[in-house]
Amino acid sequence: MGSILALDEAMRTLGLLITLLAVSPQMAAEQKPAVPEGTSITSAQVTGFDIDRLSPGLRAEILSLAGTPLKQQRLDELAARIEAERPHHVAAVRTVMDVGGEARVFFVVGRQDQAERDDNINARYTVERAEITGVRDEELTQALRDALSAVIGKRLDSPEADRLRERIEHDLSGYDVSRRIRRGSEAGRIRLLYEARKREPPAWLDFEPLRPGVVFHSEQGWGSYLDLALGTRNVRVTPIAAIDNSDDLVEEYSGYGVRVEARRLGTRRLGASFEWTRFEQDWEFATLDALAIRPDVAALYDTRSTITPLVKFAFTPDLSVAAGVSISELEPPSPATASQSANAFVASIGYDHRWDAASDATHRLGTAFAIRAGSHELESDLSYRKYLGQGTYQFDFGHHHVQATGMAGGITGQAPLFERFTLGDSRTLRGWNKYDIAPLGGDRLIYSSVEYRYRGLALFFDAGSVWDTADQRRFRLSTGFGLHAGPAFLVVGFPLNTDHVTAITALGLRVPGLGARW
Amino acid sequence: MASGPFAFALLVLLAWPVSQSSAQSLTIDTTGASLKIRAQGFSFLEGDPLARLKDGRSVRVELTAQVLPAPGKPVAAATRRIFALSYDLWEERFAVTTVEKRSQSITHLALPAAEAWCIDQLAIPLNALGTLRSGQPFWIRLEYRILDTESTPDAGESGFTLQTLIDLLSRVRKNDPAPQAIDAGPFTVRPGGASSSQ
Repeated sequence: MGSILALDEAMRTLGLLITLLAVSPQMAAEQKPAVPEGTSITSAQVTGFDIDRLSPGLRAEILSLAGTPLKQQRLDELAARIEAERPHHVAAVRTVMDVGGEARVFFVVGRQDQAERDDNINARYTVERAEITGVRDEELTQALRDALSAVIGKRLDSPEADRLRERIEHDLSGYDVSRRIRRGSEAGRIRLLYEARKREPPAWLDFEPLRPGVVFHSEQGWGSYLDLALGTRNVRVTPIAAIDNSDDLVEEYSGYGVRVEARRLGTRRLGASFEWTRFEQDWEFATLDALAIRPDVAALYDTRSTITPLVKFAFTPDLSVAAGVSISELEPPSPATASQSANAFVASIGYDHRWDAASDATHRLGTAFAIRAGSHELESDLSYRKYLGQGTYQFDFGHHHVQATGMAGGITGQAPLFERFTLGDSRTLRGWNKYDIAPLGGDRLIYSSVEYRYRGLALFFDAGSVWDTADQRRFRLSTGFGLHAGPAFLVVGFPLNTDHVTAITALGLRVPGLGARW
Repeated sequence: MASGPFAFALLVLLAWPVSQSSAQSLTIDTTGASLKIRAQGFSFLEGDPLARLKDGRSVRVELTAQVLPAPGKPVAAATRRIFALSYDLWEERFAVTTVEKRSQSITHLALPAAEAWCIDQLAIPLNALGTLRSGQPFWIRLEYRILDTESTPDAGESGFTLQTLIDLLSRVRKNDPAPQAIDAGPFTVRPGGASSSQ
């Protein structure tokens, strides 16, 4: 091990002493033993510290002392506020009586011993060069150049170097500035480097949310949906793969696809996306049985190929719209039957806002309304309209998380099976099996859910109904708990308003977003 | 719907939190009138803090050692110290200074030695253990917290990066001030001063 050194306490207070001495000679000559209370103050100033680095309010209060009667308690309070604003400094009040019988006030500020010490071992090296990269020369003011030049030839002073970084960041608005040091051209010398990086304005349009996951549902079996985002900040390519996924539609589907998105086309208000997918379907017996007695519901299909080009526009960072078409080709199970097309105009409007309340609490509100209209104008064999509105409110406070969700939707006309609403999977109406509730899905939907999480433990209450217009509606309730550890989850739900209370379990891995950016 | 995969997945899920701290171990040693801790495989300088050090900047770390009569019970004795670490660009060695009025410093250390030196400074006086000195079992909890961490500029925008996955898998939350910790025990200290782990 190396040598253990005790640091010299006297050296730590040297800065403060020098500061105090700097103002002493003049004051010593002019100062009388005491300045009486009530003496008129002619001026008030801060020495040993740049007054501009105090808050505007405190600065104004110090300067406004001029012309007021001297009150020692008031001066002590202001000195205490200086120390509160600058924790590594100490402040003292000195009052000086002028020959005219008026008082001058000095707030003498010095660096505290703890801050005076530079804990960085590199403080023993001399700065041979100081420079800023990532910004054009003409953007640097002469004052900044002077400040950089001032540190050259001196030993590294880390706090001072940090203050210079803050100053550069302040003067170069729109840049993030980091600092590092590197070896210099010879031993014992270092280069002080400030790297300025243009701060990118926040995006107004969001990419399509990613939802990769592998889920086991005790009634519906295994399924997975994987989407992996690759791209830059504004352009993204997302390969998609699904294996036996039955967690969101009536059908169980496997296949692949790709989505290409750009969220800044010349302006951050305008974006576009193009998605192509090809999925093969498996159908539950319950769905097949139900379809046999429902000739009004659109036919089964064996393969579904869809392309979806969309244009997106953001009115504000929170409010955006999207519009385009969805062209689907549905291949029937029997080659003798002709394929069907389900081509629809699609449009949606979304509002998503997050705000930070006092303390550490955050709120987030997301709402969306979408229309899909299958139309003969797009040479669709199926004509229908689908409306879906949904909203989510999230509240986070420390380890507490509350989420409330609501959805309502309706379908008119003859919609393909993949458009029909379902409830009763690992995310909705947990505790119920969608193939028991509505094996063909439904053309009406209403749903709400409240979930509370503390750390990894969740409690939820779900309520909703999915039904066909011609049938009677039945409202279903469920409750349960969940365990969440990183991307892993386990959810156990219990149906409430039924005579057969059996637990339904879902578990797996779900990652909110996964990908690589270059 | 086979029960085999179900059971396997459940096992993986339940084993997840347990697998986090398997590579680290704590031992104790009584030297004179104090209890000292050794932490093999325990590293608190990784990732961003280490990168900052290599950039020639200093990093402050708060280390706390706690003695508990049993896991989850109130702390019987504790010691807490703050260390300022830096990396000598020319010597390519680490230096450590305790952040306190009568500070101590050490230089020319490799990274594991610098970390070990910090932990070595967390001596707990034996007389602070009270009744635990008389051969009763106790547990040790070693915590660390990197102070004055910096947030990355794109923190709110990185919802789909590999770093997100790494953070998720390691259960690291940005801006989460909660310290990282390892626990070990039971240990005993015999009245004569000898120590042992059970």
